[in-house]
Amino acid sequence: MHLVDKKVIIELSHLTKQFDDEIVVNDLNLKIYENEFITLLGPSGCGKTTTLRMIGGFEKANTGDIIINGKIFNELPPYARPINTVFQRYALFPHLNVYENVAFGLKNRNDQYLKTFYQIDPTLEKKVYKDILDRKIDESVVEALKLVKLTGFEQRKINQISGGQAQRVALARAIVNRPQILLLDEPLAALDLKLRQNMQYELKEMQKKLGITFIFVTHDQEEAMTMSDRIVVMKDGLVQQMGTPKHIYNEPVNRYVANFIGESNIIPGVYLKKDLVQFMGVKFECTGYTFDNNEAVDVVIRPEDFDVVPLDQAKLVGQVTNSIFKGVHNELTLNADGIELFVNTYENYEVGDAIGLKVDPYEIHLMKVQKDE
Amino acid sequence: MNKEFKVLAKPYIAWLFILAILPIFVMLILSFMFSEGLSFGESYFTFDQFALLGEDSTLSAFGNSMMYATLTTVISLVLGYFVAYNVFKSKFKNKFIVLTIFILPMWSNLLLRTEALGNLMEHNNIMTDLLSQMGIGLSIGIKGSPLAVIIGLVFTYLPFMILPVYTALEKIDYSLEEAALDLGLTNMQKFWKVIFSLSLKGVATGSIMVFLPSMSGFAIPEILGAGNILLIGNVIEQSFRNMDYNFGALLSIVILIFIIGALYVVSKVDKEGETLL
Repeated sequence: MHLVDKKVIIELSHLTKQFDDEIVVNDLNLKIYENEFITLLGPSGCGKTTTLRMIGGFEKANTGDIIINGKIFNELPPYARPINTVFQRYALFPHLNVYENVAFGLKNRNDQYLKTFYQIDPTLEKKVYKDILDRKIDESVVEALKLVKLTGFEQRKINQISGGQAQRVALARAIVNRPQILLLDEPLAALDLKLRQNMQYELKEMQKKLGITFIFVTHDQEEAMTMSDRIVVMKDGLVQQMGTPKHIYNEPVNRYVANFIGESNIIPGVYLKKDLVQFMGVKFECTGYTFDNNEAVDVVIRPEDFDVVPLDQAKLVGQVTNSIFKGVHNELTLNADGIELFVNTYENYEVGDAIGLKVDPYEIHLMKVQKDE
Repeated sequence: MNKEFKVLAKPYIAWLFILAILPIFVMLILSFMFSEGLSFGESYFTFDQFALLGEDSTLSAFGNSMMYATLTTVISLVLGYFVAYNVFKSKFKNKFIVLTIFILPMWSNLLLRTEALGNLMEHNNIMTDLLSQMGIGLSIGIKGSPLAVIIGLVFTYLPFMILPVYTALEKIDYSLEEAALDLGLTNMQKFWKVIFSLSLKGVATGSIMVFLPSMSGFAIPEILGAGNILLIGNVIEQSFRNMDYNFGALLSIVILIFIIGALYVVSKVDKEGETLL
């Protein structure tokens, strides 16, 4: 995918939000493209939900601009934005049934809006176009319910449906309005694991099908990895790194990202010279990094990137101190000269076994050492 | 443990039988009899007092009761809803303290309060006295007018509207308001389609709780109406005072049927019963 060719649909420019003395979002710059699935990822309190609420119009930024389709939207109320939201706890209207919930947005728009929305001839008489609108709205609602696989649930009350179904109603209620951007605030957090995994897949499919930009907020890195075109990792109101899931996983910019996205071994090392790094007393070939010669670096190696080899071919040797069977693979904890390493392997090893390790040059990732960590 | 609790409940059950259920039966019997007060020596069964129900004075008292109760309910609803809504929307830490201040008048004696209010509605009272000392000649003499009775009724029963409406509002999740805005509603639409719709339970309960006592009470129209305005409660009171226990009992039974009917509606509307606490 070439992001360069894509049209920017929404741009956040130097966005800052402060509650009392606390800076929640700090100088956020972000361009989001048309038809993109982007995820704001971070622990609670990192500013991801506040960012989403600013885009939706529920919070006002202290400084900075929200630019949608080239127009500044800072002061516009939520109803004037081409955006809909799937709320964390769904926020379905308890006094309405499933059908009425989904129809709610369209039913309460004025005629002028709906005429443009459905491209109805504006010269038609009131009686005529009213009929057409009623029929069109009904069609839209039925279609949206079909999309979320809730056909037949129209007359159900909100307290008569399950959490997963409520989630789908919330989704249908938002997409029936054909927003350009859909905001999703941890919509899967309340579902159980199996349902969550199904919904992840369905959400991704739906996003491709509808061609809507999805801005998704979650603290679950696996969820982010599964669905996103791009991930924005946030911490304390600051963007740590943004990029494709693969890029972020393979080349984390700092310890925080490396730890947050999956398991990893972070080992202090020295960048000896081009394509040569030394850690744990051993020299390794590496590739693609440029630092000063003899500069201290942090070396990141993912547990699955270690190759377990016979001892005579090994560059590193460690004693197994713990082994957990994970279904497909085993998660080993090794002690190698006092440093704890995590290694994933398909073979079985007992606690106390000595194991030899090797790492391919392209599996070694180097990060600048950060002083504050 | 349970047994002891049962024993402890007995005094109240006895009390309930002797002072509430038994008298209702006595009233029921009285309404089908002729008797001199409560002396049953010369008494006999009759339906004579049923004819009185159809008399103009009774019907107009019923009509008055309905009209005053309806007006009081509507005014209390408008005023009470605004109060409840503003407290609900306010940023006070302890909203129940604010609500307590609103219902504070309820803690003083009804008669005392109504007499005091009646006094303020006369031409010469402590307030006009104070004002005239300051050179302000302000004197409103509305005691005895319908307006005075309405003011008295609203003043007395408004808290019964505020509390249930507030309880209903408090239950509305803020995210529903955001969802409404998100789906394209203006603030005004949001209020009617979401907030008001979801508070209807409280409105219904509050309305009944204002309507019933306004309809059946007699002290407020008696004092503030200065005898000019007769509600059904006043007719009942006069009947008993004139030793016409039979007609008084019959009217009371009719009112009771109204009240039971209304409570039945409340129990249907508000299944958890929290607004009647």
